Amino acid sequence: MLLDISEVINDSIGEIECVERVVSPRFFDDTTESGFVLVDMDARADSSTKVQLLFSKSKVYVHPTSSAKDNIPGYLALVRPKNASNTEVLLSWVPESSLAGSRDLDYYVKVDLEPPHAADEIGPSTNASNSRNTSGIREVLVSPPPRSSISSYAFSIPLSNIYSIQVRPPSFGWWWGSLILHTKTEETLPALFFHDSESQSTILQRKQRTKDFEPFANGDELFWGGEQFLQSLKNLAALETSTLEPSIMLVNPEPEDRRAFSPRSAKVQQPKEDPISKALKDVRWSILEKLARVTRLSRQVALDVIDKSPQSVKVLLNKPEVKKIGDDFDSAKVYLAKWALGIAEEAQRSRSKVVWNDGYEDIMGSAVGDFELLSVDYSIERRNEVGLAEWSAFFDHTGRLSLTVSEVKERIFHGGLAPAVRSQAWLFLLGVFPWDSDESQRRSILSEKRNEYYRLKGKWWNDTERQDDDFWKDQKSRIEKDVHRTDRNISIFSDSDTPHPDPESRFAETGTNLHLEQLKDLLITYNEYNVNLGYVQGMSDLLSPLYVVFQDDAIAFWAFCGFMKRMERNFLRDQSGMRQQLLSLDHLVQLMLPKLYVHFEKADSTHFFFFFRMLLVWYKREFEWDDVLRLWEVLWTDYLSSQFHLFVALAILDKNKDEIMEHYTQFDEILKYMNELSMKIDLEDTLVRAEILFTRFKKTVDMVDRKRAEQNNEDAAGQQEGLPKISDELRLLLSKEVIETKEVERPPNAGGG
Amino acid sequence: MQIWDTAGQERFQSLGVAFYRGADCCVLMYDVNNAKSFEALENWRDEFLIQANPRDPDSFPFVVIGNKIDVEDSKRAVSTKRAQAFCASKGNLPYFETSAKEATGVEQAFEVVARNALQQEDAQDFSQEYSDAININLDSDSSSCAC
Repeated sequence: MLLDISEVINDSIGEIECVERVVSPRFFDDTTESGFVLVDMDARADSSTKVQLLFSKSKVYVHPTSSAKDNIPGYLALVRPKNASNTEVLLSWVPESSLAGSRDLDYYVKVDLEPPHAADEIGPSTNASNSRNTSGIREVLVSPPPRSSISSYAFSIPLSNIYSIQVRPPSFGWWWGSLILHTKTEETLPALFFHDSESQSTILQRKQRTKDFEPFANGDELFWGGEQFLQSLKNLAALETSTLEPSIMLVNPEPEDRRAFSPRSAKVQQPKEDPISKALKDVRWSILEKLARVTRLSRQVALDVIDKSPQSVKVLLNKPEVKKIGDDFDSAKVYLAKWALGIAEEAQRSRSKVVWNDGYEDIMGSAVGDFELLSVDYSIERRNEVGLAEWSAFFDHTGRLSLTVSEVKERIFHGGLAPAVRSQAWLFLLGVFPWDSDESQRRSILSEKRNEYYRLKGKWWNDTERQDDDFWKDQKSRIEKDVHRTDRNISIFSDSDTPHPDPESRFAETGTNLHLEQLKDLLITYNEYNVNLGYVQGMSDLLSPLYVVFQDDAIAFWAFCGFMKRMERNFLRDQSGMRQQLLSLDHLVQLMLPKLYVHFEKADSTHFFFFFRMLLVWYKREFEWDDVLRLWEVLWTDYLSSQFHLFVALAILDKNKDEIMEHYTQFDEILKYMNELSMKIDLEDTLVRAEILFTRFKKTVDMVDRKRAEQNNEDAAGQQEGLPKISDELRLLLSKEVIETKEVERPPNAGGG
Repeated sequence: MQIWDTAGQERFQSLGVAFYRGADCCVLMYDVNNAKSFEALENWRDEFLIQANPRDPDSFPFVVIGNKIDVEDSKRAVSTKRAQAFCASKGNLPYFETSAKEATGVEQAFEVVARNALQQEDAQDFSQEYSDAININLDSDSSSCAC
């Protein structure tokens, strides 16, 4: 992004004194105390050793353990030593603590907030003692960052030493985006996590992007700090995406590097798989998944693993602080966690040599088949719900969204909404309010919609001829019956103390209440509004939570219509929409829970009918009221997939698969077991599990595709019998596009059935 | 003993086929105040026999129940006589009239259902080898409404 150049030049005037300053002695005291190894120690006090700070990003963390309290904040920087070429530019990570109190801190902050030059104008430093080089670009000079440190994780390496960078943007299971640097030496560097929500510059950049670009494009990927860093790095080095692993960027690749990361070379032989390379293999699925797995290993296994480790892992394990922890069995978990994190980079590097050797079964077997979800150490964490203050802060003073839609959806997807926010936020999620509307537009939408509802309702209300129609009477009776048995445990629906307005009604004797009558009128209006579909059983379940949240019949109606757009296919006369979803679930279970699927086959249960109700009304009868509201708003985001409800189904199966396989061998037993799960399912656990399963599913599809492409390369005839088929149904699960299927015209004389 | 109720609107009935297989008795129920629901009984019976595939369809135990007899007589659409004639023509199916609302006749009807089911199980009349492919797809739409 180009900054206004006049601003840069003006700013630079104020910078003149900064290069004259004396290096803070405290900076070095701190660093020596904490064990920094400075290579150019002898020259440290000399201002000519100063380096040019090209890029700085705040709140880049190292996560030494799986515990958040151990996280260390710091700055990621690119610095150019005097007269250094681009390949000699240093990539550094400096902990905040080592900058504390030093004047350098101001410069790191300043460069972070206001990059000193247009990114594409980074040139070799010509005169380090001047505040501007010949092209008028401001220079910011700082002390050389520490080159490496055992205890503080600080490091600094020339770009020429970086082999590749693994890029993991936020989302898809990674709350924080991160970068992993793979060096050409045996040096192991910690993964860098970008805590974007804490980094002032990233927040500003995001705002800027929201202004500059189409902010409401749904496909807009989340902007994050790592991306900004890579943009800067691109001006210094050639970054090339690996054809084998799209998340890997090769830095200034040599021809042989390209080969190493292309599918062809992936067939390197590895004689026998030892525990470590098995563990390494698993790393690719997610570090934390593996962390959890590793912590379950006994100490003996761990030692065994260490003995057979590749050289680079041994080097890491022999570091004194790792050894110290390793000697203490009680800390084995921490130790192994550190160990796992430490070898993550190694694993990624080794992958090109070892992963694809033993064929699909091995890979799929370890990665997909026997996978165990653990109740601890989830790599995905649910967040707190979006409260009223946070929700309001999403909007500017005109009431227009100042975040991207995908950012808002991400937030809701992971945290849900506080009850007070729902009556606003749900209207966006259900399409009543466009995401790019402002406050006044929304006001007029509401008033139009309100009038429109009363017009629609008045139309049948005053039409005595219509009310005489057999189909209409049939439907009305069905609606009334269903309304009177929907959510009567919810306080506003519980009373029957109002005399029924219609003495002919079956509920004339029992009585009714205002809200039940409203629900009835709403559903009758929908029956008239969507005339081909009409009212179908189950809709009352879908309407009731909306009515309770909005407590306004007209608003609830349009929210319901929005909801029904995606739910219409559940209610089609020919049931094709439900069949399609049950089929997708079938394929999903085949791929992701193959053992359970075999069990279901033996039990004649692969029609998955026990999920019918759950899918039909989105688990309305499976979860407690509050959980239903939470689940629905999460599903409405379509954040990972518009079919996320099928991953919820998969999560429920995953959670219960052992129990089912052990005890239930008949369809009716399984059906009964599944039915009895109702009101006993933990929602948060289910959502986390569903997200993990989605992530794993996506990776599995990617891997199968890659593997297939690779086989096609190897052999045109294609020996693909070992690879699972990724059906169209499965591919569709990766789409965020909502599937809307309209009912066909109602045949003449067709009843309401 | 398990009693399955394939409840809901007609479009959901196609689900029922999964439950038909292995059944020992089938209750066909209609609303005595709704002629259409009575007329649909034959379809339900045929549908069941196709899906459940019992070895001897002609002797498979069905029980017919006319429900909602608590509703005032003026609304009655199917006479007892007409219902009995139907049951006789289908191989003397037991026939009961009930009011679920007032719990009239329900116990008697289900006692017969249970007896017939037990007999059926003893006889092990079901085809064990499933020589014909059994369609468990949801394609089987029936055309009239019993609800």
